[in-house]
Amino acid sequence: MTEPRMQENVALSVVGTPRWTPEPDPRGGPGDPATLLTIDKNGGVTAFSGKVEYGQGIRNGFAMEIADELDVPIDSVNIILGDTALVPHDRGTTGSASTRTVGIQLRRAAAIARGALIDLAATRLEVEAGSLATRDGQVMIADGESDAVSYANLLSGHTLSLAIPEVVETKRVEDFHLMGRPARRIDAVSRVTGSTKYAQDVVVPGMLYGKILRPPSYGAKLQQLDTARADRVAGVVSVVRDGDFVGVVAEREDIAEYAIEALRARWEEIQHAASDLNLAAVLKEKAGEFVTLRDEGSLDSAFDSAERAFENSYFVPYVSNAQMEPSASVARWDGDHLTIWCANRGPFTERDGLVEALGVDPEQVRVISMDVGGSFGTKTATVSHEAARLAKSVGAPVRVAYDREEEFAWSTVRPAATFDIKSGVAADGTIVAWDYTAIHAGENAFRGQRGADTPYDVGNVRIKVAAADSPLQAGSYRSLGGATNHFAREVHMDEIARGIGLDPLEFRLANLSHPRLRPALTAAAEAFGWESRASRPGIGYGVAVGYDAGSFTAQCVEVSVENQDVQVKRVVVGFDCGLVVNPDGARNQIEGSIIMGMGTALWEAVEFDGGRVLNGKLSRYHVPRIADTPEIEVVFTGDPETLSSGAGEPGIVPIAAAIANAVRDATGKAIDELPIVPQL
Amino acid sequence: MHLRVNGESHEVAVDAERMLLGVLRHELGLTGTKYGCGEGTCGACTVLIDGNPTQTCYTPVSAAVGREVTTIEGLADGDELHPVQEAFVEHTAFQCAYCTSGFIMSSAALLDRVSGPDDDQIRSALSGHICRCGAYVRILQAVRSAAGKTGGEGGAR
Repeated sequence: MTEPRMQENVALSVVGTPRWTPEPDPRGGPGDPATLLTIDKNGGVTAFSGKVEYGQGIRNGFAMEIADELDVPIDSVNIILGDTALVPHDRGTTGSASTRTVGIQLRRAAAIARGALIDLAATRLEVEAGSLATRDGQVMIADGESDAVSYANLLSGHTLSLAIPEVVETKRVEDFHLMGRPARRIDAVSRVTGSTKYAQDVVVPGMLYGKILRPPSYGAKLQQLDTARADRVAGVVSVVRDGDFVGVVAEREDIAEYAIEALRARWEEIQHAASDLNLAAVLKEKAGEFVTLRDEGSLDSAFDSAERAFENSYFVPYVSNAQMEPSASVARWDGDHLTIWCANRGPFTERDGLVEALGVDPEQVRVISMDVGGSFGTKTATVSHEAARLAKSVGAPVRVAYDREEEFAWSTVRPAATFDIKSGVAADGTIVAWDYTAIHAGENAFRGQRGADTPYDVGNVRIKVAAADSPLQAGSYRSLGGATNHFAREVHMDEIARGIGLDPLEFRLANLSHPRLRPALTAAAEAFGWESRASRPGIGYGVAVGYDAGSFTAQCVEVSVENQDVQVKRVVVGFDCGLVVNPDGARNQIEGSIIMGMGTALWEAVEFDGGRVLNGKLSRYHVPRIADTPEIEVVFTGDPETLSSGAGEPGIVPIAAAIANAVRDATGKAIDELPIVPQL
Repeated sequence: MHLRVNGESHEVAVDAERMLLGVLRHELGLTGTKYGCGEGTCGACTVLIDGNPTQTCYTPVSAAVGREVTTIEGLADGDELHPVQEAFVEHTAFQCAYCTSGFIMSSAALLDRVSGPDDDQIRSALSGHICRCGAYVRILQAVRSAAGKTGGEGGAR
């Protein structure tokens, strides 16, 4: 594996904080100043970010932003991602934040560089800077006869280091050449020829293969271990034991797998009361302290004065990210310095975890995150710890790669959640009271808070969220609690509309003045032809709205239902994420969000009992396949003058509710929990 | 054991029962073919054996002896991409692309077998593959387009 290196022959570098937003960023500070962008003596541009490419096309987005802002050909821009030795610490690749915090800062860096090049040219040509223009990596007099001067030529003999000032003038939308237009991925050829290297594909000289002995259930303690048979397997280098941590290192992967099976282990298992069947009750019992996100007006008097009141409970089970690439890491120790090749979205977080676990200094650990074969929130760091421990023990580089069942059982799942909603409406269909209580599995209450608040107009409102001890290891997932909170709220909205005899679209519009969400909803409904829909037994229509990661979306769907065969036929999406850097990339993300959300709506649930996952195989965990693909239309409703917000996650938040509402429309059957199909 | 892969002969000293996937990836260094499920249900490990799509995580290496194995690395003709690869580029029919090799191999085999397949034939030929990023709309467009169709229906049934 070749290791990327910092570019040599740097002629111009731009230093700044890696993140920037016009307002204070609630998702974290700007980070420490670092080199964000360089131009070498030959005019090559390199940008650095701790973000990771896991399918969202961020390398492409960054390259487009820089090439447009700096006026260079896109193929002269090299983006280095996810290597802790080379890139700034700009936080992990989460919250659909790459474009809106790092992308904009890279644009600002490129704008500063372009300004400096124009200044150099002004001096060289003895003209006013204002009379100069840039194009294709060259500076020229805007409407004159003079020859263009290349950036490389201008930089010859110079070494410039620039800082990003508070105020930077970036290009106006009408001056964009690349941004806002659909673009092919710059990495496309390597993707279709199999040459992209994922963590699973990393090979370093002298590398051995590790496999870990897994307990039969969560929390089980190792009582006895007989390694004699495994020790005798030809090709086994070492059986490593450190307390309950047991692994085999072998010359080949198949030998390591065989030797793990040859270990004789006896475990003491603990009792587990929770299963997927009693999960809602378990979460309610184990709920921690409620956090009140909003408490306004007077609920009691609002309910007293309401014409009608509604009350219901909802439930969403654990679902698996089930990304296509199972977790894998290669660890190599050079003396007391560790290098990890892995597939983590947060290389610095992974480094810090290794530093803590191994008792070493940050300078001793380099984490190189490869292009990732899907994540959506997971990619366990544990695999790197395991590889590091085995590599240390045998004194050689070791690769550990999870098989699919390990991935299901030992990586994280989307938090299951329960919801209780009480609402009151006036005679004219105005919501006057909204009392929302959610309990999300997991130690991290923040996950469940995302999307819990209501975007509708209501004066008397209380939003309470608690975290509950989780029987399974809850972790990140596309939009986290955003999608599950939206399911509960948007299904409840339909219940109210049905109860008071209003069209679900009309009822939403009557209670929605949000300046960005409302246009997304009207655009989706119009493109869908909501008014002319014709529900009938077996054919249903649903609508839901959502907000996430600074963006706003509404979705209308058509489904057909015949017994347990539910087909999502058509989805129309209104979507406002401000400036769309790459419309094709954003559309791809939204389509993917919808397909993924269809799985959670219709089929997906992690089944578990006795501390074991029961359906941890892709043959037993039903994810959407190509035959399930609906027609998907996306209408972008954002203002390009508004800074970009997230596009990777928001598409998933309303879809499960829209489908549930459509299935209800087609069948008359109330859908209060997910997944839908087993209930039909 | 003697294998022919992408037109080249290889002598590999491995157990006959070992799965072909591990041999391709770890013995021959052909890492474009991916591990996804280990039970032949996701399609990431698909190669062509004598032109037939085969899930190598579930196929012992002995089954490939005496046959011609084509992996994603052997599909292009030098620098000239196979029409299916071209179409996947054209339609950005991927996101993370971990599943892409498998989809492309099965699509190439389909177009080899059926000229101008209809949507049902495409969906059926690719039913053994999972793209968890959900790029299916584009994969359908790409395969339609490679099949010489207009492909403008955006995934309509």
